[in-house]
Amino acid sequence: MIDRRTSLLALLPPGFGLAGCATVPPATRALREVRPPGLPAAFELHEVPFFPHTAYHCGPAALATVLGALGKSVDPDSIAADVVLPARRGSLQVEMLAAARRHDALAVALPADLAALLGEVAAGRPVLVLLNLGLAWFAAWHYAVLVGYDLERETVVLRSGTTRRDLFALRTFEHTWARAGSWSFVAVVPGDVPQSASERAATEASIAFERVAAPALAARAYRAALSRWPRNLLLAMGFGNASYAAGDFGAAAEAFAAAAALHDSAAAWNNLAEARLRLGQRDLARAAALRALARAEAAEPMWLPAARETLGRLE
Amino acid sequence: MKTTHRIVSVVLAASIGSTGFVPRGAHAALIGTEQLAANAGPKEVRGALLAALARDDLRRALAERGVAPERLAARIAALTDDEAVQLAARIDDAPAGAGDVIGYAVVVFAVLLASDILGFTRIFPFTRMP
Repeated sequence: MIDRRTSLLALLPPGFGLAGCATVPPATRALREVRPPGLPAAFELHEVPFFPHTAYHCGPAALATVLGALGKSVDPDSIAADVVLPARRGSLQVEMLAAARRHDALAVALPADLAALLGEVAAGRPVLVLLNLGLAWFAAWHYAVLVGYDLERETVVLRSGTTRRDLFALRTFEHTWARAGSWSFVAVVPGDVPQSASERAATEASIAFERVAAPALAARAYRAALSRWPRNLLLAMGFGNASYAAGDFGAAAEAFAAAAALHDSAAAWNNLAEARLRLGQRDLARAAALRALARAEAAEPMWLPAARETLGRLE
Repeated sequence: MKTTHRIVSVVLAASIGSTGFVPRGAHAALIGTEQLAANAGPKEVRGALLAALARDDLRRALAERGVAPERLAARIAALTDDEAVQLAARIDDAPAGAGDVIGYAVVVFAVLLASDILGFTRIFPFTRMP
């Protein structure tokens, strides 16, 4: 391998600097020095499906790959109409996230941390990455799916383009991934929370999921995230709202009551009033609406109109 | 386009003013999660207005860029307000993952070859390690 590279370098015009030759990017170097505790030295998700793609369809192919790993059979050609932007000859990142959600999967962004990506792979979750295979000033954007790695050999395995097991040097993967903004996400079924997801990323993914998912599925996603971050107001409210939309007013009232007690949030009191009204508890609903109004007047003026309206309907 | 914006703004402002902000979601009386996340009354109304304008722009922008008409509504509906604003603003310069690396100019060949060999980039298959 070294010989082959050296001989290729000899083909370059004289004076072509080799200044960057020894550059090993930071995460690769860190993994070389210390392996994160609990991370296996090598791991590969052999059973993740592969969809070789042609032309500019790497986005749909990568999506079909991660959705296929969840047991959803998705045809890349049919998903192409949902993500590809023909004039741009490719797919944009936000639409990749949205397309995953439309197939009943949460799209959870991962931190810009190479070790976190490897950890997700070892936990059974293939990671969809954006790479810039070219240079900063000569970009070649490409979606691929990280399915394996070997820290001894310093390689990663990707489902990419027309290659089922595309072997990248770890440092090349890090370079090309960092050059694309270190962007990645995992697609998970509602109820699964990726281990390395930040509270913020998991919350954003859940809220975006609620927008398109069946309410019962959204409630399941919120409940899982809430059990990991029990003090998160948005997750509690999301669980309440999704439960309410699913017709489970008892669960909704419980969630809103817990959020109201923990955060004294006008929105939580307001929604608690609505849920109690649905349960036929008119007096309790009115009490909650009064708390919503009091709290909105004291500290959260943006919810005053909603609180007044709710109370108005109860009097 | 500006006129369209103005008209849409006026219509939206009027509807918001008369009905109060109506959260998306299953039930109008609930304060929605996305609405709560955006977190602020007047600002939220402004945010919702921006998002509505962004969605309006997006519909046209996506159609102009070759998205099939029958797919427009579903593609736009799946975006959060933030995403819609982001996409509308960067539709022509956000990275478009493609994986099509054919047609590169000869001028950059040497540079890319070198950076490939050094492991910074990955354009040419023959530089790849086993």
